[in-house]
Order: sequence, then C-alpha cells, then structure tokens
Amino acid sequence: MIGPNSKRSAQAQIAAQGEPMVWLSGGMFAIACLMILSLLAFVLWQGLWTLWPRNYSIYTRNDGSLVGGELYSKHFQDGQNKLYLRVGNYDVSNRHFAYVSSLELADQKPWADPDLWLVERKEWGNLYGFPKELSWTKTTQDHFADQVTQGMRETAKIDRQLAQAKNELKRIDGDIAEARLKIRRVELAEKVDLQRAVESGSVEGLSPAAKRAIEQLADRNRRADDAMVQINERIAELEAKRSGRSILFELPIAQELGTLTAPWSELSAGKLRDVQAVAKLIGVESNASAPAISVEPVGKELLLCKVAVEDQSIRRLWIRRLGETTCSVSGFQEHTILLADVVRFFPTNRLGLFQRLGVYAGRWWEFLSGAPREAGMEGGFFPAIWGTVVMTIIMSMAVMPFGVLAALYMREYAKRGWLLSLIRISINNLAGVPSIVYGVFGLSFFCYIVGGYIDGGPKKAGFEPWPSAVWFSALGLLALLSLVAFAVAVLSGQAEARRSPLRSMLRWAGGLLWLATLAGIVWLLIKSPHFQGFYQAQLPNPTFGKGCLLWAALTLALLTLPVVIVATEEALSAVPNSLREGSYACGAGQWQTIHRIVLPYARPGIITGFILAMARGAGEVAPMMLVGAIPLATDLPLDGEFPFLHGSRSFMHLGFQIYSLGFQSQNSEAAKPMVYTATLLLLAIVTLLNQTAIWLRANLRKRFQSSQF
Amino acid sequence: MNRLKAIADGQTIESVIHQEVLARETVVSIRDFSLFYNRKQALYNISMPIVKGMVTALVGPSGCGKSTLLRSVNRMNDLIESVRIEGDMLLNGESIFAPSVDVIQLRKRMGMVFQKPNPFPMSIFENVVYPLRIDGQRDKRVLMQVCEQSLRGAALWEEVKDRLYESGLSLSGGQQQRLCIARAIASDPEVLLLDEPCSALDPIATGKIEDLIDRLRGEYSILIVTHNMQQASRISDHTAFMYLGRLVEMAETSTIFTRPTLSETEDYVTGRFG
Repeated sequence: MIGPNSKRSAQAQIAAQGEPMVWLSGGMFAIACLMILSLLAFVLWQGLWTLWPRNYSIYTRNDGSLVGGELYSKHFQDGQNKLYLRVGNYDVSNRHFAYVSSLELADQKPWADPDLWLVERKEWGNLYGFPKELSWTKTTQDHFADQVTQGMRETAKIDRQLAQAKNELKRIDGDIAEARLKIRRVELAEKVDLQRAVESGSVEGLSPAAKRAIEQLADRNRRADDAMVQINERIAELEAKRSGRSILFELPIAQELGTLTAPWSELSAGKLRDVQAVAKLIGVESNASAPAISVEPVGKELLLCKVAVEDQSIRRLWIRRLGETTCSVSGFQEHTILLADVVRFFPTNRLGLFQRLGVYAGRWWEFLSGAPREAGMEGGFFPAIWGTVVMTIIMSMAVMPFGVLAALYMREYAKRGWLLSLIRISINNLAGVPSIVYGVFGLSFFCYIVGGYIDGGPKKAGFEPWPSAVWFSALGLLALLSLVAFAVAVLSGQAEARRSPLRSMLRWAGGLLWLATLAGIVWLLIKSPHFQGFYQAQLPNPTFGKGCLLWAALTLALLTLPVVIVATEEALSAVPNSLREGSYACGAGQWQTIHRIVLPYARPGIITGFILAMARGAGEVAPMMLVGAIPLATDLPLDGEFPFLHGSRSFMHLGFQIYSLGFQSQNSEAAKPMVYTATLLLLAIVTLLNQTAIWLRANLRKRFQSSQF
Repeated sequence: MNRLKAIADGQTIESVIHQEVLARETVVSIRDFSLFYNRKQALYNISMPIVKGMVTALVGPSGCGKSTLLRSVNRMNDLIESVRIEGDMLLNGESIFAPSVDVIQLRKRMGMVFQKPNPFPMSIFENVVYPLRIDGQRDKRVLMQVCEQSLRGAALWEEVKDRLYESGLSLSGGQQQRLCIARAIASDPEVLLLDEPCSALDPIATGKIEDLIDRLRGEYSILIVTHNMQQASRISDHTAFMYLGRLVEMAETSTIFTRPTLSETEDYVTGRFG
C-alpha cells in the first residue's frame, strides 16, 4: 500500500520529516545558552563595574537643595527616572547610597566640579569634598596631592610605630594570660584553689609547682607594670602626633548662610559687586586685600561662586535666585578628617582614562590583597580568599587519601557482589545529600562531640566515663580481641587455604573482628576516666569545641568524599584490562600492578575528580555557616605566628561572605555592589579550578593514548 | 563415525597424539587438565606435551578453548573468580597447580604476549625492563644490558635504539607487539606463550613477527595460539588441533597439514569446515 499515492496522516508526515523537533530542540538549546550567557554577563558587568571610578555629579533639587553622588545605576519606573547615587560622606549624611527621582530635580544635567576630590577612608566610607586646609603645612590647590602623599607616608611611619607598641602590649598580656593558665593547670591537677594565694602572694604550704606558677605570675605582673607605663606613654605621644595631621574639607552639603541683595541678571553675567557682603557672609574680615570673587552658572537658577581669600585658599558658595534681586547664599559644610584615615584620594572628576584605569587597578589590588574595612563593605577580601583557599587545601588533603584508597579497594580488591553494589549505590546517593545536612552533622559531631572531647575529655563531650577498674579490664579484653583478629587475618591470607570455603569464612570473620576491634578502640576512648582533654585549663572557652577551620575542612571532606570516590572509580575502571593482564603475566603482584601500571594510567582521571571536588568544596556555603565561617575574623587561619596553621580558629569564607555581606549586614543595600564583585571572584576561582581540571585531563590523557594502531 | 559430532554430543573421545611428538623432551606437559567456568566446562581432560626449544601451535575454531588452555599455563585464569580446575601441568617437571606454588614466581618463569599489543604507559626502556623492575633490580648497567639484549632478541633494537626513553605508545602497532615480545623475553622465560600475536596487525607487521618467532625457535620453547592455518604451517614445528574444549589431534606440523591421521583434522586444516 505504501507508494507515492499512499496517504499518510499529517501527524505521521510531520514525524517522518522531523523538522519541528529540530526547531524545538534547537530553540531549547538557544534558551539554555541565553540563560548561561546572561548569568555570566550580569555577574561580569556588575562585578567589574563596581570598582570603576565614576564622576561625582551634583544635582539641584526643585527646592534648591543639592544632592551629589556617583551614579551607580539609573532605571525607569512610574514615569520617572530613578537615579541610584552613591552619596558618600556617611558621617554627615548618614547614608552611603540614595535614590533620587528625576521629577525632584530642577535641572537634569548634573554639574561635575573638577576641583572635587574623592577620599577613600578607613572608616565611614568615601568622602567627597573640596580640600581646604592641611593642618600640618600650608598648601595651595596645586600642591595638595603631593603634600597629602608626603603626609600619608609620614603618618604610615607613625602607624607602624604605634602597631609595634601595641604588639608589645599584646605580648605582655599574652605572657600574663599564659602564667594564669599555668596556675589553672596546677589547680586542676592538684584540685586546690589558688585564688587566695594569688591575691595575697603568700605561698606557704603549697606544692613546688604551685609556688613556681604563682611566683612566675607575680614576677610577670611586676615587670609588665613597668613596661606598660613606658609603652603607654609612647603610644600617647604617637597618637598625639597622628591626630595632629588632618585635612579640612568642604563637603558639598549646603548650609544656609543668609541672603544677598543683587540683581540676578548681574550675577549670571559673572559680576558680583558687593564683595564686602559676601566676605561677611563667609566670615572673612574685610581688609585691604579684598577677596577676589568669580562666579559661574551651574544651573538655570543656581550659581557657583568661588572666593579666593588672601592665602590663596578658595571658599565656595552657592547662590540661588529667590526673586528678582534677592538671592540665598549657602556655603559648604566643613569637615575634618585625620590623615591617618585616608586610604586613597584623587580628583575624581578630573581623571583621564589612564588615571581611571590606575585607580581601578589599585582598587582591584586592594580588593584581592587587603583586609576588610567597614564590616566588609569596603576594602579587601583577602582574609576571605585566604580562608577559603586554606580550608579547601586542608579539605583536599583530608579527602584525597580516603577517597582514592577507598575507591582503589572497591575497584581492585573487593569481591564483586551485592554488598559492594549496595555500598556503591549508597555512595552515589551520598553525593546528592543536601549540603546543609553535612553542616548539621559537622556541628553536632565534629564541633560538639569530637571538639568537646579534645577540649575537656569524655565528660565535656557528653559521655559518662567508666570507673578505672572496669576500663582497664575492657582494655585487656580489647587487646585480646585485636590479637584474635590479627591471627584470623593472617590465617585467611595463607596460600594453603586458597579457594576453600574455610578461607572465605575466615575472611568474613577477620573483617568482622577488625571492625569490632575498631569499635572497641573508639568505645574505650569515649569511656576513658583518665583523659581530661588537652584544653581543660581554657574552659569554659572552647578551643576545638566550636566551629573552626579544622572541622569545616573535615565536614567538607566528608561532603566531597563521594565525588572523589566516584571519579577515582571511573578512572580506575577506564584502565584497560589488557594492561593489568600484561603486568600480571610479567610476574607482578597485585599491588605492584596497581602501583606501577593502574595508578599512573588513572592519574589524570583521579586528579580531575580531585579538582572537581575542590571546586565543589570551595563554593559550598551552607555547611560553612554552621561549622566555622564568620563574617569578620581578626586572625588569619594560616599566618607567620607559631604554629602557623591554626586549626581551632574561625575563619572568613568567600561564599559565606557574599551571603552575610549582602543579606545580613547592617547596611546591606550599600554592600550590594561589593557582593557582585565577590560573586565574580568566587565564580572566577571555581571556573579556574574547573578549567584546570579540563586542561589537565586533556594533557595527561594524551600521554597515555596510543598514537596509532 | 564423525568424532566432531561425537564431541558436540558430549561424548568423550581419545586424543590422537603422534609418537614423534611424545618422543621429544618436553618443557610443559599438560596432564589430564580440565577447566570450568562455574558449572560450564571449557576444557576436557587435555593431556599434551609442549616440546622444548620448538614452536607448538594451537589451532581450532573459535571458542574451542585454545586461549583458555594457553592462559592456564601461566595461571592467568586465576584472576577470574569463577574458574575451577582439575588435573595438573608440569613446568620442567614441577607442578604448576599444586597449592604450595607461588603464582607470582611461577609467572616470572614464563613470558606472555597478548592479542592486542599492550605496552605499558611508560618509556620503551621501562617497558622492556619491567619484569626486572618488579624484582627490585636497580643496577642501571644490568637493566641497560637486558634491555638491549631483549630488544635485539625481538628485532626491535635497530628501530628504537635512539629513542629508548620515548613512550612505548609512540610506536606503531607492529613495533608495539615486538616490544611486548621483548618484554616477555626480558626475564629469560622457560616458555613463551603467544596468544594470537598477529591478529591485530597488518600483513607486513605480521611477517616481521613471524620472522621473529622463527629466529626465537631453538632458543625459547614457544606455545602459540593462532587462527591462521597458513601461519601455523609456516612457523610451527608441532600443531595441536582442538575442538570444543577437547584436544583432537597433535603431531608434527607437516604431518598435520599433509597426512593427518584423522579425516576431521584434514577437513579443518584444508578449510572444509570451521
């Protein structure tokens, strides 16, 4: 029946051609691409744009007041343009950002004053203003930058000396705390109360150790008193020197000064006759050398008036038309900032492209290498990057041996059977468990149980220890058990017993016995009456019994373990069996074959899995919130201080930082631009790791593939 | 009565082994050897000698158990969990399957070459000296000497002497297979097991391997599995014809190919079946 004339249903016709499916699948593909691209473009745009130095524009409102800021975004809403301005000067205006509607503005075109400087400060965020006076030297506008730079250099020297002095104080405090800890240890060991002895200083009838500890504390206290007086004097001196260096700024926030009677037409033509009146308004005494005044229009009804006073410093005034002959005059608010608070300063409206690029690069450098300021809203992300990297590295060192060896056993040694399949399925499922579950586990197990145990022994971890006699009998039993387990394992490994039912029985028995021994060891540790923890003297302050670097790394290791196991297993199963056979045929044993042939061949795959696990671990946030990441850490987890790696410290984490900064901080609206930049950074790190994995795989595979056949 | 039909029906038959083979000195003698994969029997009571210093070819249609028998000689079948054996083999008079035998030591006394060339992902030099490496040999002089000797033995030295430290995988297929042969003879084995060594190679590479086998004759005892009748007739001294897990006839190659005792053998070698 099928021929050129046979009729097919329309549906069958379409199905036969298949054209719609091409369009459908192609369309879906295009949408997927678009989504990925727009995500990337959004993060890139927002992240890269945040640190770019913009112009500071001053707008006039309808009521004549002024609002200035860096324009961050502009969007159309309800028939008006909403301008999102970074207004800065937080200590005066109480906000970092402000929304301004275009309907409020008298003049849509802003005024960008070339004399305006942007000062990035250690506290209170950006300051925008006109520099007026330096407290430590005479200045002119022309030499302002040089003198501030010079001043900053000197201030930095003072700051270094201050930090040195404060470090000395900290060291003395540490010495005293150490001496106190020693006394506490003696107290715990001898079960005595030394408090009275410490206060009175009498050491009658105490043990030698207690005497030594109390004398040491008294000695250190004595020496500290002398030293501290000296250091505090030095600090006061330096502080005075430091606070003597400040800059007076005029902030573009208007203060009503009074009114002026002058025809508007005359003013807008650039002439101002009544010099005396103006001088009086701004508080300059009229004398022989009257101030020179220049006037320029900046809006339809608004003029900027610059008054050059005799010492060449310039005072600014806004003159706003009220009627035909009356004008209101407003001055700029004056504000002093310490030179020591200045991080970076530049005339933001006067910068050329290359200078802008310089500032941009400087900001990125600070972002990547600096410490956070203003609760993370300003300054750098270095502690967060560092914390993430250190944590990820410890995590990898923890997960790698476990994962690779476990996979090796499963693929190379274990007998295939239902048990192995079950375990494999479980591990695959483990990879899909929500990460917060690991966080909860890490908190309750690592932090509270294991950490508590390390800090204060079984009691602190919530276990009731056995009486000493019971514990020692249990220890004896365990020793016996381990001996039996060892004997059974040796027996089952004997060549004579090969392939007999006895051997497989022995193997099972051996395995179970080893498990029992392991459980016994753990149980004995838990029930020990003789272990009081390593950090008992510090209690009730937890050392390891809280969220910290070590537990965070171990929690993540647990989280990434399935990834590593699955990847390693895949890599091992991709090793051609012919290679294994070739090796066995040469007389190699199983371990020799694994070590010399299988592992080198599987290495690229294993490394790929390892890097994927690292990337997953680096980007994981949910468990971090529970097991150790904090929004602001004073100390780095890895630094130059003995013992260099501080596993018990809390740390900053990039992913957690994004969350806490953008959604938990005091001023999360203002922190949003920083959030985008941090997101970009996290994305870059994860992409970098993945890219390395792909590159590595491609490169190493090449080495192990036959070129021709 | 057709023996092949009898075998297919599951009856036991008597293998025919010519006296001229039995009279010679053997390196491996297979004694009443049977092999099972779980319940399925793959080899049935095979007894045959492998003559010292000569090339013995195993021929027969696919699935007749040639490779299984070959892989039993160095106990490669131990790697398969479900394999069970009966009977024994003797390597120069010592049992291969006795419980006290150390398989690792046993395999070191034999060399094996597989169907597909399987050089290890390491340099040519390391490939050849691998058997010595796993024995812990570190003396560079000894290793170099063995490497040169083996590569010369495998007729590969002239081609690779300038690039010993390049990857073994950079060689062509035929060269790779000769590299595997060099590796197999590096530990000076008592018997060389070749499992269809030319089936993955082009005719020219095959020719070279055949020349090589011809050169190794006398120095090594060789057991080779082959699908190719011409190859068997060209290179082997003795030929054993197997069918469905049983040894049917074994004799000097010229006898097998010109005047075999059994008509079934003649049918097979002349291509009338199989």
